[in-house]
Order: sequence, then structure tokens, then C-alpha cells
Amino acid sequence: MTARVIICCGSGGVGKTTVSAALAARLARDGLRVAVLTIDPARRLADSLGIGELTNTPRRVPIETVASANGGSLHAMMLDAKSTFDELVRRWSTDPHSAERVLANRYYQAASTRLGGSHEYMAMERLLQLWKGGDYDVVVLDTPPTRHALDFLKAPDRMSGLMDQGVLRWLVMPKSRGGWRALEFGSETVARVLKRLIGRGVVGEIAEFFDAFRGLADRMRDRSIEVRQLLRDPHTRFLLVTSPAPTARAEALYFLDMLTKEQMPFGGFVVNRTAIAPFHTLSPETVPQEAPADVNLAQWTQARQALLQAHATRKELAAIHTKAVQVLRAAGPQGAPCWLVPEQAEDLHDLAGLLALGPHLPGEVWSQS
Amino acid sequence: MSAPTPPQGFPASWPRILLVTGKGGVGKTTVAATLANQAAGRGERTILVETSGARVAPGLFGRPSEGYAPVVMAPRLSAISITPEAAFEDYVLQQIKVRRLYKLVFENRIMSPFVEAVPGLHDALQLGKVMDLERDTHRGTRVWDRIIVDAPATGHGLTMMGAARAMMDLTRAGPMFEGLRQVHAVLDDPAKTGLVLVALPEEMPVNETLDLWEQLGDSRAQVRLCVLNQVHPRLCGDQDWAAASAHLQQLASPAVAEAMDLVARTISRSNRQEEAHTRLAAGLTVPVVDLPTLTHGVRSRDDLESLGQALSEALR
Repeated sequence: MTARVIICCGSGGVGKTTVSAALAARLARDGLRVAVLTIDPARRLADSLGIGELTNTPRRVPIETVASANGGSLHAMMLDAKSTFDELVRRWSTDPHSAERVLANRYYQAASTRLGGSHEYMAMERLLQLWKGGDYDVVVLDTPPTRHALDFLKAPDRMSGLMDQGVLRWLVMPKSRGGWRALEFGSETVARVLKRLIGRGVVGEIAEFFDAFRGLADRMRDRSIEVRQLLRDPHTRFLLVTSPAPTARAEALYFLDMLTKEQMPFGGFVVNRTAIAPFHTLSPETVPQEAPADVNLAQWTQARQALLQAHATRKELAAIHTKAVQVLRAAGPQGAPCWLVPEQAEDLHDLAGLLALGPHLPGEVWSQS
Repeated sequence: MSAPTPPQGFPASWPRILLVTGKGGVGKTTVAATLANQAAGRGERTILVETSGARVAPGLFGRPSEGYAPVVMAPRLSAISITPEAAFEDYVLQQIKVRRLYKLVFENRIMSPFVEAVPGLHDALQLGKVMDLERDTHRGTRVWDRIIVDAPATGHGLTMMGAARAMMDLTRAGPMFEGLRQVHAVLDDPAKTGLVLVALPEEMPVNETLDLWEQLGDSRAQVRLCVLNQVHPRLCGDQDWAAASAHLQQLASPAVAEAMDLVARTISRSNRQEEAHTRLAAGLTVPVVDLPTLTHGVRSRDDLESLGQALSEALR
């Protein structure tokens, strides 16, 4: 059986990595076997999860040290796009020699992780392995920072399109005509223009890369079909993580638009760092202006003003955030779930802190369609 | 009556080109727009260059969206959006002249992904367009006195200048190499190009900024300023609060208790922010300036004015 998948998307700086980790921890605590895959090399996240470092292979998070896990477990890993790509090249190559040829190629070394959404593709590749592996009930993915959100969704299709045999035929002539120089003849005009623009050396390396990569193309296409299935699976959900800030919200809505167009399952909004309004009303009369006998008047006045100011600011901020959430919900599909994560007093620095966010995050996102 | 205070702002002697750089989400755009607004305010013909495609300036100034051609935002202030795609097309068309050929090579969606994946190509091309702005003249005088670039997010600490160098290493010869060499000559010159680093007052972003500073190497001489963005003003000193809090507790009011908790939070946040400032100031050899957070966010030119004032006061 395949795992259920939650994909967390959002713009930079909204706390997406923290939300992903906290959500994974919460689900593990609920008794599920959970893996969280992050792309953020933040040392602090590894620290807060209580593990030495995050690597490309899943590491067990000692969740039972802070909570009874009810049979659940949590593993965390960090995407290393380059190692994942290298690993694929080795696994898919028909023989070790052609694998080495790809790995040694200068263009591959310099550009493989930038190639038309390859970083996104590698995240998907890793996700696919976890999805099918059978070791987990749920996989939470913290998505790469994408310049265009669309790249992420289209990465599998785009990569497989790129690696399509037809494209390769168009670019590289049969081997009999001799290695990488094929590009010069394969499409003379294209090659000439490219050389003039970016230099002879680079074009040669690209052609060489293509030639060496040929054997891998079929496998890549098969995988991208599976990724497409994963993304549209009835047990996959996209969560849009945002802060109450207008720019972050705009980006979340842009991504929602993409999801709708691509017919991918939207699971709801998570609005991080929202201010909660004060429960009580604080009027200036409640705090006397006169300082107590043993307190200096200036100090008292300072503290009194801080008290009134903190209350007023929080009230104002909460009103702004409430409005922001209303605007966001109105722009989303009717009845779309929306989880509000309150702003935390301190930076998160341990597993207990992550687990404290749990009650504000979805325990069940698969019931709604 | 005192004479009106002369328009302040960042020193007019700073280099003509200022690259505002930092990680995604730290508020580079706000800082770039603040600097541009200041420059224009004191009479410099200024252009604000957006590179992410997000086009934030029109919203701030209440003006129509800018494109690949500059659009006026305010008196003496224009904005331009240079996306990698537009810069790429522009560059290629300049080079090969024939649009049909461009379409053949780059709009077949086969070759372009491979070319675009060449390290630093996009950044390098965007910089190429910035160089065009640098050279623009009208009847013998230059069009722009000040060019403020809201640089793309530095994911791995690689600055745009690093991108130009990486590109040159790969191309080694040809027209693009030549173009880059000229770009590099301007960008690498501390008299012509300055850097403004933007960070948030939290532990991780400060670490990242200190890392970036390390990686800048010789280019450190070009850094003019580090802005610590979205700093919350301190509500109360630790000692004042300690002196008063026992008495506040005795008021036995739930509303006071709740507000006390809020104050305690803001004090600990202020302590963390001051620590962030201290660490940055100790690690960098340039001024570190706090910009206040605005409760409503930065929404208009008035907001830029108040941020500009804070910047001027901190720099004075």
C-alpha cells in the first residue's frame, strides 16, 4: 500500500519548514509512521528534532522521549538534489561505464541540479521512493523554494519531456557519427547560434551529456508517469502555508490557482504566525498612574505604558490578521479548511516546542475532497 | 523658526549602483524601494530594478505595473522589472538580430531548458540589462543618477557578482564572455557598485548573513550597509519591568496578567533582536541599521517615507 502524502507549499520566510516538521511530529504522535522530507538545510531544525544532522537518508527522530507515540514513529530527511541525481544515474545506467560518463561530464556537474526544474524533480523522486517504499503511513514534503510555483508541479512532465527519445534524436545524431560532435551536424543552425551565444565549450559539454544520458531517458519517463499518479492520488493533499502578510497570501492564492488548473488536491490553508486577540479588556484605569512607594515613578510609568501598549498592539494586530484570514478564505474554495498557527513566544528550539504546535495543525486532511 | 532640515538619506557619495541582497522573505524589496524613494526625494533621477517578476513597486506607489521598459512611479523615480526570461530574449535578439532564428532556437522548448540551466546565466543576463541602464544616455547626459537593484534571493550565498564570474569560467570566450567581462568590471568596482545586505533580527537569518559575508571575500569592500529589517521597538527595559512587575501582579487583574505575559514576550523578543544586532555588528565592518516593523505591513509611499526616516536617523 502506498503512503498518504501531504505537500506543504508556500513562499519563502513563512515558516514552511517548521510547519512541515510540526505537522509530521503531530501525526507521529497520533500513532502514524511518518516521514518528513525537507529541503531547508537549517541546522536549527535538526537540533529541534533532536538529531545531529539531516541527511539524504531518513533519520529516526526520538519522539518517544517527549511524548507517548502510540506506536507511531517519525523520520526526517533533507533533500540533497545532487546525491539523489547521482544515485539515479548509477541505478538507471545500463552499465557502470555510461554512469561514470554522465557523472564526469562538466555540464552535468555544474548544471544537473539546475536543469529545467531538476531540483523539484529530485524532490519528487525522493517522495516517490518514500511513497512506494511501504515503511511509512504518511509522508510530509516541505517543498523547494521555487521561483515559479508552477515549476514544481510541472517538473516531472517537463523532465520527461526533456528526456524524451524524440528530443534526443533531434539533438544528437547516431553514435556512428561520433560522440558529442554530433550536435554540430544534428542541427547545424541551432548549434551555430548556441556556440556564438554561450561559447563552444559549453555546447560541447551539453551534447556530450545528452549522448551519455540517452540510456536513462526511458526510466525517467516511466518515473514521471508515476509521479503524476502520486500528485493526483486520492490520498495526496496540498497544504498552502502562508503568513498573514499580503505578499505571502498573494503567493498562496497564486499557487492555489495552479493546483486548480492542474487538478491537484487542495487540502487547506495553514496561516502561520497569527496574532491571537487578548481575551480580556484592559482599560487604563485598571493600572494606577501613581507609582507604588518603593518604585521609581519613571520606571513605573514605563512599565505601565508598556503594558497598555502591548495590549493595544496585540489587539490591533489580531484584528489585521483576522481580516487577512477572512480575505484569504473568501478567495479560496468555499468551505476550504484553514488552520491558524499562533505566533510563538520564543523561537522553536526543541521537539516539545514543535509538538506544541500540533493542536493547531490538521490531524486529518484526507476526509474532505 | 528653524530652517527646513535638508533632505537626508543614505550618503549621496555612495556608488551609483546599489545591489540590495539577502535571502528570500527578508524584505529586500522594501529596503530597495526605501532607498530608491530617498534618492528620488533628494533630486536624483532614480530607477528601481525589480528582478523577481513579482512587481511590488506599482502597488507601493499606486502606479500601473512596470514591464521590461521603465514606468514612472513618482517624480524622478521609475521602476523596471527585469525577469530572467525577458533579459534572455533581449540579449539573444541583440546578438542574433533575427527573430525567426530566435524562435527556431529558443522557443522550441527543447534547447532552452539546457541553456537556462547553465550556472549563473540568468543572473548574468539580468545584470547585463542593468548595465544597459548604467550606460543609457539622453542628449549626452546619463538618464539615471542612481540605480537600485532588488537582487534575486541568494539561496546559497551566491551573489549576482559570483554568478557573472561563474559564467565567465564556463564560457571562456565569445560575445557573452566579452559582455560579462564588461559587466564584471563595473560590478567589481567599489567606486561604481555598492552592496546592501538585508537580514531579519533572528538567529538563523543572522547566521546566514554572517556566512554570506564570509563568502563575499574581496567583495566585502563593496558592502556599504547591513539592514536589520522588521525590528520591533522595545517597549520596556528589563530593569524597569522587573521593578514594576511584582506590584502589577498584586493588582490581581486577569487583564493585567494577560498583558504582562505579552510584555514579557516583547521584552524577550527585544533581547533576542538586540543580540542579533550585536552579533551582526561584531561580525561585519559596515554599519548595521535597524528598520522598524510596521504593524500594517509596508503598503504605500508614506510607509517608505517613515522607513526612510528611520534609516536616515540611524545613519546620522
